[in-house]
Amino acid sequence: MLAAKSGSTITGGAPSRPFSALWARIMRAQQNAAVNGLKTTHFRKPGVAFWLLAPQALILLFFFYIPAYKALSLAFVETDPFGLSVIFVGFDNFTRLFASPAYRASAVLSLVFTLVQSVLTLGLATALAFATDRVVRGQAFFKGVILLPYAIAPVASGTIFAFMFNPNVGPMAHMLHAMGLPWNPAMRPLDAQVLVVMAAVWNHLCYDYIFLVAALLSVPRSLMEAAALDGAGAVKRFFTVSLPIIMPTFFFLMIMNLIYGLFDTFGLIETMTRGGPAAATNTLVYKVYQDGFVQLDLGSSAAQSVVLMGIAMAFTILQFRAVERRVNYTG
Amino acid sequence: MKRFAPLSLGVALAALTALPASAQDRVQIEWWYAVNGRLGDLAQEIITRFNASQDQYEVVGTYKGNYEESMAAMVAAYRVGQQPTILMAAERGFMTMLNSGAVVPVNQLMAAQGYDVDWDDFIAPVAGFYVVDGEPAALPFNSSTPILWYNADQFRAAGFDGPADTWQELEQQLYTLKAQGISECPMVLNGDFQWGMLENYSAINDMPWGTKANGFDGLDTEFVYNTTGVVDQATRMGKWMEDGVLHLAGEGMNPQQMYIAETCATLIASTAGHAGVEQGAQFDWSATYLPHEAGITPKNSTIGGGALWVVNGKSDAEYAGAAAFLNFVSSPELQSWWSGETGYVPVTNTAYETMRDAGYFEAHPTREIAILQLSRGTPSDNSRGFRFGNHNQATAILVEEMQAIWTGQKTAQQALDSAVARGNDILRQYERIHAGR
Repeated sequence: MLAAKSGSTITGGAPSRPFSALWARIMRAQQNAAVNGLKTTHFRKPGVAFWLLAPQALILLFFFYIPAYKALSLAFVETDPFGLSVIFVGFDNFTRLFASPAYRASAVLSLVFTLVQSVLTLGLATALAFATDRVVRGQAFFKGVILLPYAIAPVASGTIFAFMFNPNVGPMAHMLHAMGLPWNPAMRPLDAQVLVVMAAVWNHLCYDYIFLVAALLSVPRSLMEAAALDGAGAVKRFFTVSLPIIMPTFFFLMIMNLIYGLFDTFGLIETMTRGGPAAATNTLVYKVYQDGFVQLDLGSSAAQSVVLMGIAMAFTILQFRAVERRVNYTG
Repeated sequence: MKRFAPLSLGVALAALTALPASAQDRVQIEWWYAVNGRLGDLAQEIITRFNASQDQYEVVGTYKGNYEESMAAMVAAYRVGQQPTILMAAERGFMTMLNSGAVVPVNQLMAAQGYDVDWDDFIAPVAGFYVVDGEPAALPFNSSTPILWYNADQFRAAGFDGPADTWQELEQQLYTLKAQGISECPMVLNGDFQWGMLENYSAINDMPWGTKANGFDGLDTEFVYNTTGVVDQATRMGKWMEDGVLHLAGEGMNPQQMYIAETCATLIASTAGHAGVEQGAQFDWSATYLPHEAGITPKNSTIGGGALWVVNGKSDAEYAGAAAFLNFVSSPELQSWWSGETGYVPVTNTAYETMRDAGYFEAHPTREIAILQLSRGTPSDNSRGFRFGNHNQATAILVEEMQAIWTGQKTAQQALDSAVARGNDILRQYERIHAGR
């Protein structure tokens, strides 16, 4: 009800009756702020602010705080799946985790995979965006083709890749075999890792691409023309003029890629390798799923998700602190 | 056409109001099952038959993914009080379900609801697994065991009547199939190969998989399969893999499809594969007993597949419906129909005899292999089955370590040592959590 009412307020322009009192109060507060010269809006009664925040707070509560609390509470116990006997074990789940070679291998794998995937995706997307800028005819078609993979769900693209590169029946695998390569992602760990990276790059390329194309459009024509008059070629103009200007976008994408590689490649791995062979593609996120939802080792799985929560927080802080402060438009 | 619209609307409305009236009288019973494809269609047909057979209850069946996925769904549902009344769970999840505190033993349910089930009628290998301290914990339903599927055309082309009885001779046959160019892929590895090629290998050749009679005698059991002939079997699988005799289907391909498409000559998989093979294979397909080591008398193979568990925390009316459904499912008529359609083992002697007397097995000889293999000889502590806590976890670890053999990272001995050490940690954790139960 609340969401629907406030929604109509915004779209309709005029406030609906039950909320007109609230609306009036907000307007008054804003006027007061203008009169008093305050930067922030103040409410006399905190209740208004509470109601305005409530929808967002509820979403956070149900989709973030409660699950996070559940994970935290499970991370310190050993329990049967049905939760009927629970033993408090302190930090045992964590010490077990960090002592486990399988977990450490998974952590190293996730790091390498994420870095390789990010660098490749961003590099390719930059090249394509640069090329798009140079294309004169059929630009819309070109953009459309590159953007297409973004409309495909990871599970679907994973299934396609798994089939195309299946060592027994896949057309791409046949091509690789014909070239004399012993391609077999079911038996060779490196092949499986290459396959996952390829699919992840293909799937995420379009996201980076569209941001970069938009950023390149914002580069002032006058600067480009000035550089051209000074005798700078297209590539030189790109590196000395365009790239510094689009740097904020570039860093934003870097963080988004790292997050994608670490957290969002689950669907691809589930459909292409199931974490195998011999755990060669068992990333941290996939391991949480395997241990928790397939094997029902809830304590260990919860401890792993707490570790991931820590990583996600670190990324958020990194994005807010380091990136947003050091990169600016004049750089 | 427009003129008829109000009329058809009226008819639709009448139908709509009529439907809930009849549905309201019926008690709904939720059944979550874990078989799909042709087997899933057949499970739905059982439901249709049951619902048509009486007017008090309505069973609603839902496919919740494979055994692991439906177990996870069940766990999540149970924690928030949304559990189904009946769950199909695999033999691998036996201990998890048995010690969960979330189930109603079927014999208690049936007795309380006034049904007289002849538990002695269940065939020995099935009863031997599902009966704990004289009490059947779950209703055996889709029981199976692995058998060796082969392409009779290709074996004939190589000059063999059929697969040999022992692993040693079968090895030579498979290498011949490859050397003569009859099949590029003499054997394809099934997804649940640890069951068909390792656990059942251990049982048939009378080797212990774990201490304490494979877990039957207590939770303080330990895995020992890294000290038995299973190591040789794992070594053999690694060698076959390296020589291109044993193939992996790879993600995106189903091993059974590769057998049906004549890409691969043999496959060790469940007898329940009959449903798919009979429907799809366009060649002279056949099946036989699993091989054994030379110079031994083979024991019985072990039971797999699923059983129906009744979950606690439901209403009396739902339990009455569940009992009626279980009674319907275990009737000899339905059992022999289900077994005939799917390839699962007929779980009662009456159903088995009904099929035998009707001459079913003469017309379909491969259908009898599973039941004969399951009841072969006198079961020993090593062949009765496996009762390990959290067996899903130990199995996943075993599969991961086995993969390390064919990726060349470990020898068979190293891989199995590691699988046993990691598996024993899981057994100890299970023992801690379930102490005193």
